[in-house]
Amino acid sequence: MLKLENLKCGYGAFTAVHGLSLEIPQGEIFALVGANGAGKTSTIMTIAGQVELQGGSISFDGRDISNLPARERVTAGIALAPEGRRLFADMSVEENLTMGGYSRPRAAEAEMREMVLATFPRLKERIHQRSGSLSGGEQQMLAIGRALMADPKLLMIDEVSLGLMPKIVDVCYDAIQQLKKRGITILLVEQNTQRALAVADQVCVLESGRSVWMGSAADAREDPKLIEAYLGLAG
Amino acid sequence: MLAFELLLQGLVQGSIYALIAVGLTLVYGLLRILHVAHAGLFTLGGYIGVLVTNATGSLALALLIAMPAMGLFGIAIYRTCYQPLLGRPPYVALIASIGLFIMMEELFRLIFGPYGLSYVAPPLQDPVGILGVNLKQAELAAMVGAVVLIGGLAFLAGRTRIGTASRATVTDPKMAEAFGVNIARIRDINFFVGSALAASAGVIVALLNNLVEPTMGSVPSYKALAIIVLGGLGDLRGTLIAALALGVIESFGTIYLGSFLDRDAIAFAFLIAVLMIRPQGLFGKA
Ligand SMILES: Nc1ncnc2c1ncn2[C@@H]1O[C@H](COP(=O)(O)OP(=O)(O)OP(=O)(O)O)[C@@H](O)[C@H]1O
Ligand SMILES: [Mg+2]
Repeated sequence: MLKLENLKCGYGAFTAVHGLSLEIPQGEIFALVGANGAGKTSTIMTIAGQVELQGGSISFDGRDISNLPARERVTAGIALAPEGRRLFADMSVEENLTMGGYSRPRAAEAEMREMVLATFPRLKERIHQRSGSLSGGEQQMLAIGRALMADPKLLMIDEVSLGLMPKIVDVCYDAIQQLKKRGITILLVEQNTQRALAVADQVCVLESGRSVWMGSAADAREDPKLIEAYLGLAG
Repeated sequence: MLAFELLLQGLVQGSIYALIAVGLTLVYGLLRILHVAHAGLFTLGGYIGVLVTNATGSLALALLIAMPAMGLFGIAIYRTCYQPLLGRPPYVALIASIGLFIMMEELFRLIFGPYGLSYVAPPLQDPVGILGVNLKQAELAAMVGAVVLIGGLAFLAGRTRIGTASRATVTDPKMAEAFGVNIARIRDINFFVGSALAASAGVIVALLNNLVEPTMGSVPSYKALAIIVLGGLGDLRGTLIAALALGVIESFGTIYLGSFLDRDAIAFAFLIAVLMIRPQGLFGKA
């Protein structure tokens, strides 16, 4: 589904990720973990077309999308719940969802919205509320919901659990598992390694822009020390 | 009665300010550029209004030509003057904009002559009574026109998908793009709409003064800057209220303060007074 080959990315003269290769099969959950500044967000934002690709290639659904403009990547089926959520704060929940589905035909909007609101009933109660005034948990649900409105084949979520109460984290991970059942491929970035391992099929540990361990999440679950060793204190 | 008359006069003036300032605030919200040359489109709109009306006898036709023509001109200014400078600090575009405005004024002088143009048979000059106060038809038209045009814009911005996309682009262009918004198109549309509104204001002002002259954009240009600062830079609703408030304050001010404060100075006295109390403008967020 998604294949990175020797991906390099960064900001001008600065390179944040130095040659990352990975492959995510259709319908799997892939977790990207690592300490602060490891390059997780840079990787995700490069896949979304928002950070400069400095080398290597990205292919999606059998097609090279390395040079595709960001707005065509969402049409191709890649949607993003970014770090910091970046909701359209002045807009209502409803309008944020509308924006999420902007790349799809208008006729599809109502149906997608039903699906998102069924996944996150909390958003339904707040549908006319200004998104900037939602709680942190509600904002994360909306960020994921907004991305789902694009009817993605690949959903990328950066910092799923950061700053959220355990109960809300449960809601988000339940949703993630539901989405997987529906066949959506998911790329997660997560600080909370335990949580990520519990749902993921594969894991990659990034350190200073390089992959230091990659393998099946099942192996990592069996031997918790394995990943901790690579994460150091960050895990 | 005098108070009501002053209020109406102020709202007429405020409507014109609003039609000009809306375009500025749209551009500022989108690009963080102070689009000084916007007032040049206001002036050119006035010229087209007078020329077409004199040639055809139809004011409606004049508006129908001036508004889309200036809309397209606005897009051309964005593409040739601002787009190449987007990566630069904002003052670079500001300087380009001031240069463009000066160039436009000089071109008007060269092309249309230094003394200005008038309507041969100025339309809409008959008086209409509103609750005992007499207004010129043209003044009434200014208010009605502003309500219709800005109401239409508010509908577009608030209730349509493209309007929602435009507001999203103002908030976070990268995220808007990530969800499929064509940013270049949003910019074109905003320049088109803002410039067309400025053109309508130019035609109306030409009607009220029965005169268009090369520098008629100068005073509105700096007043519109004051208005968008008061309105909270980029905030449409704030800009509208600030425009109407300034019109009304000027109207009362010329009667009660006119002996020692020039009409055009009132705008800035008001601006300074507001900014001392609310540095973010009347409606801006802190
Ligand atoms: N806009 C930017 N301009 C320049 N450098 C940046 C920018 N964003 C990130 N970096 C640098 O790129 C490197 C990787 O950052 P990135 O945000 O991808 O890390 P991360 O793994 O997401 O970290 P965190 O867990 O803190 O979110 C860091 O050294 C960071 O300082
Ligand atoms: Mg990050």
